Amino acid sequence: MTSIAADSRNPATFEPTHRRLTVLKTQPGGRHGAARWGVIGLALGAIALQVASFFQPWWWIKLYAPQYPKGLKMVISLTGVTGDVAEVDILNHYIGMAKMNDAAPLERQLAGYGIAFVGVAVLAVALLAGKRLNRLLALVGFVFPAAFLTDSFYWMYRFGHTLNPEAPIRLPPFTPQLFGNGKIGQFMTFAQPSAGFWLAVAAFVLLAAAAFARSRVCAGCARRGTCGAVCADAFVGPSAGAAS
Amino acid sequence: MQVTIGKVLGLGGALLGATVAAAACENKAEQKPGAAQSGALGASQSLKQLMEARGLTEADVEAALKTYVPGGKHDEYMIFASGGHSGQVLVLGVPSMRLLKVIAVFAPEPWQGYGYGGESDKVLAGGDQNGKRIGWADVHHPNLSETKGDYDGKFLFVNDKANGRVAVIDLGDFNTKQIVANPLVGSDHGGAFVDPNTEYVIETSQYPVPLGRDYAPITEYKEKYRGVAMFWKFDREKGRIDPAQSFAVELPPYTQDLADAGKLVSDGWVFINSFNTEMAVGGTLEGKPPIESGASKNDMDYLHILDWRKAERLVKDGKATTIKGMRVLPMKVAADEGALALVGEPKSPHGCDVTPDGTGIVVGGKLDTHATVYEFSKIKSLIDQKKFEGKDEYGIPILAFKESIRGQVEIGLGPLHTVFDDKGFAYTSVFIESVVAKWSMKDLKVTEKLSVHYNIGHIMAAEGDTVSPDGKYVVAMNKMSMDRFTKVGPLFPQNFQLVDTTGEQMRILVDAPIGIGEPHYSQMIKIDKLAPHAAYKPGENPYTGKVDPHAVLSPKDARIVRNGTTVDVYMTVIRSHFVPDRIEVDEGDTVNLHMTSLESAEDQVHGFALNMYDVNVSLEPGKHENISFKADVPGVFPFFCTEFCSALHLEMAGYFLVKPKGG
Repeated sequence: MTSIAADSRNPATFEPTHRRLTVLKTQPGGRHGAARWGVIGLALGAIALQVASFFQPWWWIKLYAPQYPKGLKMVISLTGVTGDVAEVDILNHYIGMAKMNDAAPLERQLAGYGIAFVGVAVLAVALLAGKRLNRLLALVGFVFPAAFLTDSFYWMYRFGHTLNPEAPIRLPPFTPQLFGNGKIGQFMTFAQPSAGFWLAVAAFVLLAAAAFARSRVCAGCARRGTCGAVCADAFVGPSAGAAS
Repeated sequence: MQVTIGKVLGLGGALLGATVAAAACENKAEQKPGAAQSGALGASQSLKQLMEARGLTEADVEAALKTYVPGGKHDEYMIFASGGHSGQVLVLGVPSMRLLKVIAVFAPEPWQGYGYGGESDKVLAGGDQNGKRIGWADVHHPNLSETKGDYDGKFLFVNDKANGRVAVIDLGDFNTKQIVANPLVGSDHGGAFVDPNTEYVIETSQYPVPLGRDYAPITEYKEKYRGVAMFWKFDREKGRIDPAQSFAVELPPYTQDLADAGKLVSDGWVFINSFNTEMAVGGTLEGKPPIESGASKNDMDYLHILDWRKAERLVKDGKATTIKGMRVLPMKVAADEGALALVGEPKSPHGCDVTPDGTGIVVGGKLDTHATVYEFSKIKSLIDQKKFEGKDEYGIPILAFKESIRGQVEIGLGPLHTVFDDKGFAYTSVFIESVVAKWSMKDLKVTEKLSVHYNIGHIMAAEGDTVSPDGKYVVAMNKMSMDRFTKVGPLFPQNFQLVDTTGEQMRILVDAPIGIGEPHYSQMIKIDKLAPHAAYKPGENPYTGKVDPHAVLSPKDARIVRNGTTVDVYMTVIRSHFVPDRIEVDEGDTVNLHMTSLESAEDQVHGFALNMYDVNVSLEPGKHENISFKADVPGVFPFFCTEFCSALHLEMAGYFLVKPKGG
């Protein structure tokens, strides 16, 4: 709601065209307008976090054994595994496990596109979704961390269940632990998500907040009665929320 | 195979490293295993009881506390010590005095795979004399490379007194990279030492022979026999001595002994002492006096003073003659051009050590009770003024003794070598008296003597022969241990004694038995000046520092290639298998094994041994080895790993089959 006093201080308000006056009434300078830009800000922030996560490690595991006093560390990002991979591969060959960097080849290739897709999707939903589709925002943010966890679990399961039967040491199939302390042979392990994962989670939180805020804005929108799957105003468009 | 080595990690799956045991730790993963254990001795009462039970004095306990280095903690200094007759170099930690490594240098050493068919054979071949492999050495004086007169921790040089050779050890991998053989003489003693910037590695001869080791009757000793000061040009970039750029200076047939390079003000000069200026040649069977008495007649011998920069210039100007491919500057030229002079030194001296500030040269009397301190500035001005007392029979000018010295220190019986601390004190080893004599360089007075056990030869101080000694520690290197250790038969260990010089009085902290040879000199360097690496880059040949052209960086590239009667085997080595692991050749084939370790983890070492063929190499992470031999014995020969690399180490094996001719 623009106050008259505020308008009178603004030379623009004296422009005599009808259109200008209409715009003034409804333009995103008022309470709802600020909220709308806030939603977009949250969405952009989430995209930034998601992009940043691409360049950060998502998960790490450290393995300790008597003969590795400094431990072995592997760092998993969306594009591959780094750290003491060569050593872990040598150790793993004894039980016939595949090489670390043979894991998730497709996922690693597609991760960059995935991030780009999430960015586009977030913007698309934020700008175009109708009021019933607000939750899509949170859902889009949920995709990456959830997919990462699911996929990691899948690959761990797969690695632990496709051991080469010709290997010197035969083990019953197993699935390694994704979080916290574990014990494997003489190794004590500690695994936990890392910066990239938490950035993605933070992105999700921002998007959830954005979805909530957006639903509040939509609830107060002048067009709420006629709102379909698509927001007719592109959410922050010129006539967004125009009073009916 | 139900080795219950447990389950495995998945995406980080993992197993057995070297030992399968352990495991028992219940620690949480993020707390590293092996948390500190608290000692059982809490109360001082029980400490007293323990001291009584073990018969320890308070001084013993203090010494123990000063030297005990718990596992996992590291020593403060590192000693590089001559390994004497072993032909190797010993590496010890200080203050623990524990042996950390024996670096293979002049003699084959199986653990390091040194001299058993691999690339190191070429290094040993560099030390061949007269085309013959010399299988041993008497390592005398290790010297660390210096920059501006201070240890830089990059290289170590040692001499083989017995056969006149010098070795270059790279402290990047603590590995001997080069041996050069002196073509002129057969023995050396003054060396290997370096000038303050390691432009040259210097080696002076011991027993005179006709240069080039040709025959000349002993009756022509004075005319034909000679000594040399050898200047091996060191190419720091390449980390090798360049014999083509090296030269020697001919010296009279006085038995040259120890030597040292000047530093700071005396940089550019070399000082070499000598005995047997009498030129006695023995003849015991003919009833003549042995060399020992013939060589001890004169009250004075000669300290040689050599302006090596001038000698270098003269050689560059073409004043040298060539003997056995080595440029030799005749002593006549050196003397006439003012590059070589002599000054008397009492009697049958030993030790020749330049003071940290470069102004003085300390020479031990050995058969005289003094250490004489020469003043470089006096020597220099006498030479500049050409003020000579006379000339020896070879025309070398002699400086007046009295006018060349700062003074003499009354040391005691048998002063030998001198080292220095950071507080203006010198420490001289006194052989006959079995003491370390500490004396002040200010007034040349002995302040303290410490009994050592027994018959101290060399002495060494922490960085004590650099321009900036550290003080703190002195090591007495004793020739005899007598009652100091448990008996091990008639050949006793030698004894290194670590001496604490920080207190009011010198104190022996620990005796370290040396059971591998009679060590001579050593040097002690602060640990932080060393930066050795723990692995080679993948496929690196340690002797070229580059990836070997035959390197095999993946098992996919492993192969066997036959070319006529030559078989090249390209092999990868990784836990716990060789690729290939079956090699079949015909009797008489030349076999070239090219093998690369694909390991990269610290301390993950394999060996490769082929039995009955005397082949054994060590393959540290990343290292490449080339082994070449003739398959001259038909039969079946297992090859296998010789380092307990993993739980499946014994399984790391293969077969080398040699088909008999016509078989």
